[in-house]
Amino acid sequence: MKSRITAVAAVAAATALVLSGCGRSDTAGSQDGPAELTDGPATGTVTIWAQGTEGEALQEFVKPFEEANPDVTVEVTPVPWDSALNKYQTAVAGGTTPDIGMIGTDWMPGLVSSLQPTPDAIDTSDIFPYAVGTTEFDGVRHGVPWYVETRLIFHRTDLMEEAGFDEFPADWDGFKELAEAYKANGAEYAVALPAGGWNGFLGNLPFMWSNGADIVSEDGSEWTFDTPEIVEGLEYVKGFFDEGLADANPDTENSSNAANFVDGSVPMFLSGPWDVPGIADAGGAGFEDKFDVAPIPASPDGTSTSFAAGANLVVFDSAENPDAAWKLIQWLTQPEVQVEWFQTVNALPSQQSAWDDPVLSEDPKVAAFGDQLESVKTAPNFSNWSEVSAAADTYVEQIMRGGKDPAEAMAELQAEADSMGTGE
Amino acid sequence: MTPSSTATPVRRRRRRLSLGRALVYLGLLVAVVLTLIPFVWMLLGSVKTQPELIRRPPTWLPETFTWDNFTAWFTRLDFGTFFFNSVVVALFTVLGTLVFCSLVGYALAKLDFPGKRTLFGLVLVTLMIPGVVTFIPLFVVVSKLGLVSTYPALILPFLAGPLGVFLMRQFMQEIPDALIEAARIDGASELRIFARVVMPLCGPALATLAILTFLGSWNNFLWPLVVAQTADMYTLPVALSLYSVGQNATNYGVLLAGSVLIIVPVLLLFVLLQRYFIQGIAVTGIK
Amino acid sequence: MTTPSTVAVAGATRSGGRGPAAAARRRTAVIAYLFALPFLISFAVFMVYPLVASLLMSFTDFRSLDIPTPFNVGFVGFEQYTALFQDGRFVRSLLNTLYFVGVGIPLTMVVALALAVALNNGINRFRTVFRVGFYAPVVTSIVAIAVVWRFILQPDGLLNTALGAIGIAGPDWLNDPWWSMPAMILMAVWRNMGTLMVIFLAGLQTIPGDVLEAAEVDGAGAWQRFRRITLPMLRPTLLLGAVLLSVGYLQFFEEPFVMTRGGPLDSTLSISYYIYNEFGFGNYGTASAASYVLFVAIALLSLLQFRAFRAKG
Repeated sequence: MKSRITAVAAVAAATALVLSGCGRSDTAGSQDGPAELTDGPATGTVTIWAQGTEGEALQEFVKPFEEANPDVTVEVTPVPWDSALNKYQTAVAGGTTPDIGMIGTDWMPGLVSSLQPTPDAIDTSDIFPYAVGTTEFDGVRHGVPWYVETRLIFHRTDLMEEAGFDEFPADWDGFKELAEAYKANGAEYAVALPAGGWNGFLGNLPFMWSNGADIVSEDGSEWTFDTPEIVEGLEYVKGFFDEGLADANPDTENSSNAANFVDGSVPMFLSGPWDVPGIADAGGAGFEDKFDVAPIPASPDGTSTSFAAGANLVVFDSAENPDAAWKLIQWLTQPEVQVEWFQTVNALPSQQSAWDDPVLSEDPKVAAFGDQLESVKTAPNFSNWSEVSAAADTYVEQIMRGGKDPAEAMAELQAEADSMGTGE
Repeated sequence: MTPSSTATPVRRRRRRLSLGRALVYLGLLVAVVLTLIPFVWMLLGSVKTQPELIRRPPTWLPETFTWDNFTAWFTRLDFGTFFFNSVVVALFTVLGTLVFCSLVGYALAKLDFPGKRTLFGLVLVTLMIPGVVTFIPLFVVVSKLGLVSTYPALILPFLAGPLGVFLMRQFMQEIPDALIEAARIDGASELRIFARVVMPLCGPALATLAILTFLGSWNNFLWPLVVAQTADMYTLPVALSLYSVGQNATNYGVLLAGSVLIIVPVLLLFVLLQRYFIQGIAVTGIK
Repeated sequence: MTTPSTVAVAGATRSGGRGPAAAARRRTAVIAYLFALPFLISFAVFMVYPLVASLLMSFTDFRSLDIPTPFNVGFVGFEQYTALFQDGRFVRSLLNTLYFVGVGIPLTMVVALALAVALNNGINRFRTVFRVGFYAPVVTSIVAIAVVWRFILQPDGLLNTALGAIGIAGPDWLNDPWWSMPAMILMAVWRNMGTLMVIFLAGLQTIPGDVLEAAEVDGAGAWQRFRRITLPMLRPTLLLGAVLLSVGYLQFFEEPFVMTRGGPLDSTLSISYYIYNEFGFGNYGTASAASYVLFVAIALLSLLQFRAFRAKG
């Protein structure tokens, strides 16, 4: 009897704690409108989390900022990419975020309720419009795009010439012919395409987009997975698997693309700018002359459109030093600083004017990414995109591996996505 | 508890079944080699270069031998700090668990108090709760206590381990009541009985709990990742994951070298303590 | 051999009833609470409170976007629980977990028992080498070991090379929906057999040698001795092993997390992985509800095992 009372009391006490605990985390939200930036240099300590090579190189890179603002200290914490979202989410829940976060564009919708609006003083008019779009929610900017990236087709130029092609084809038919020629020339598979798994749908979206497709209606109110453009795009991709031009059971290990590319067994794959130096390294001396990057081929009715993403620098609601944080972001996103950052970690600048710098414009492979960035689309800015995307991945897998009819699969996906809504 | 070795039959069996024993040895040898292959590969891989590591099919012996992957841990990375953090966290988690769990284990096994069964039941229930479920509320608690990025945040949540309570209670129940009664009649306080009579008998159980706790703490990844918000508080597994998979190509050599550096200390510890460990399990609560 | 807990209780109640005895009992209780206090505090703060919070969360539609305004969430009762069972992916994850548990637990136990029996059979030379060797996989962190296992399981990896040597064309373990789960089970057996081996070894050492000796004199063969004496006497140990293993295996997560991301075609999506995904999607309410379904499954299986092992005795 007594023990039951103790138990009830314990639960009651815990419940009270839960409620009060939740209440306290109710901080001033983004409803207050953007903050005004103060004049004068930044002061105090600014904390920033950054993933991957960015995290490793940033501490050293911000020295000039610290010299220009003698009273400021920047503290960089490197974070592993794999579990970074986990870390940001829990930090938000506990109210212990850093001042600045480096947020992948696809994570923005899930975190935006804890982000500060961008001060009006920060000009983003010269930044790639698609990238600014990933920060905008209800017409309000939250954060500043830091680097951009898009996918191109990496291909072996030496083997392409052997196969009888001088130019990389720009349309669907030509691309398929090239694939067949590569295979006839001895390649095991012509191109590495995602057959499912994580981001399997997203990875093939460029082909659908280059067929004029869209996955969301103009006004963002509904999903449009069952359109003819999407289905045709998937049928085109499926053809590569059906004809043995793409491997339906590719090795998912990161390094396999590079290995297969270097030994010529799979002479084409889709990837981002980070693989340019990566592939050159893997291939050894002189290999950089044996490959190039090309835009996504377009269907007769479409224009070449690739997938774009990147990362934004954001300031959290619970930031302790927002003023200095925004000033650091302002500094990091200046065109000249971005050029230097590109030379440090190969991250493509979000400022379009930075691309006029010879460092970028005179490197043909880099410039190709710049050209493709003129025509790109992004994943939708919905808070439930990751969930819908995961569902779409399953259907792509059923199509490419299981041989399911694309039209049928997309009708099912449409129904499933409709039930989840667009997260508005 | 019957001691394991009864000398005569063993010796006789050895003479009679020498062929059978040879087969057993052979089987065990094959099995242990198979079990250890991943480690051998890890060790060999840690001294290979990146191009060789991604080559297909994979090579066995390194063609070009390099220490670079290991030196990277000491030059580019602050191995010393990560190692120190891991050691401090594991050490205090183990000590704290041993103290907390043996105290409550004694109360549960040898003292009578209202709510005892409820408490033990609750402990058993939490043994079965999947860890992910409390993750976010737990982080909220730790951050409200102002502990984020401190050693206590990495240590305190693991001192309430239900497994430890279970083990210690089971073990202490085996200790004869007569021993404790005798001490009580001599006028010893409960704390003194606990420290002087009970604890000295608990060596094997404590060794078992120490190893299990140490392993859990040493290999723990997600919690330290989230709760250590500055790089100087990272533990070894968190630092290792910085180099595992990323948007950029994985640096396999550094990853494998780091794996070797993480595994060696625990293997050494197990070699040193394995005798007590097995003995501890033998007499802990499994009967 | 066992000293049941009733001895301690009897010891305490023996002096019950009379005045000074009641006082002594109160004093014992106070002392007991003091002994339990450090644990109780940390248990309440770091275990019970987060549990209650997550249980409450499972009855609301809490999403990550609600964090700044936690009072705006709606109370939905058991809605999320019923929605779970209508979600094909959740049902799939349930079945996958059952597959993993149903094959993984017996397999791990058989392998571990075989190793323990072999090691206990008068193996004196290299004993430490064997023990440490078989236990080594247990002490390794999954982060460290994932890379190596991908190299083993890839299409032209070590495993398929070995199979090829004996004339078997191995499958693409991690990318084939039929073979991905067996690959996960293989990895799990490798990682967990050491723990069980040690537990079984300990159990075997408590079997008195003279009983086996007597059976041998009576003409019982090695297999009969194992069936008739060793196994029955090992039953409590087997139970402990099975329960520990099922608590761990039902929460099966790390192997698919680092190896397959739950694929291909959701073939390695476990309940824990489903929960992890839902947390990632920001559906905290759904994730919490799924966690309690998993908890009930673990509790039920443990109960079942207790029944099964006891019934035979």
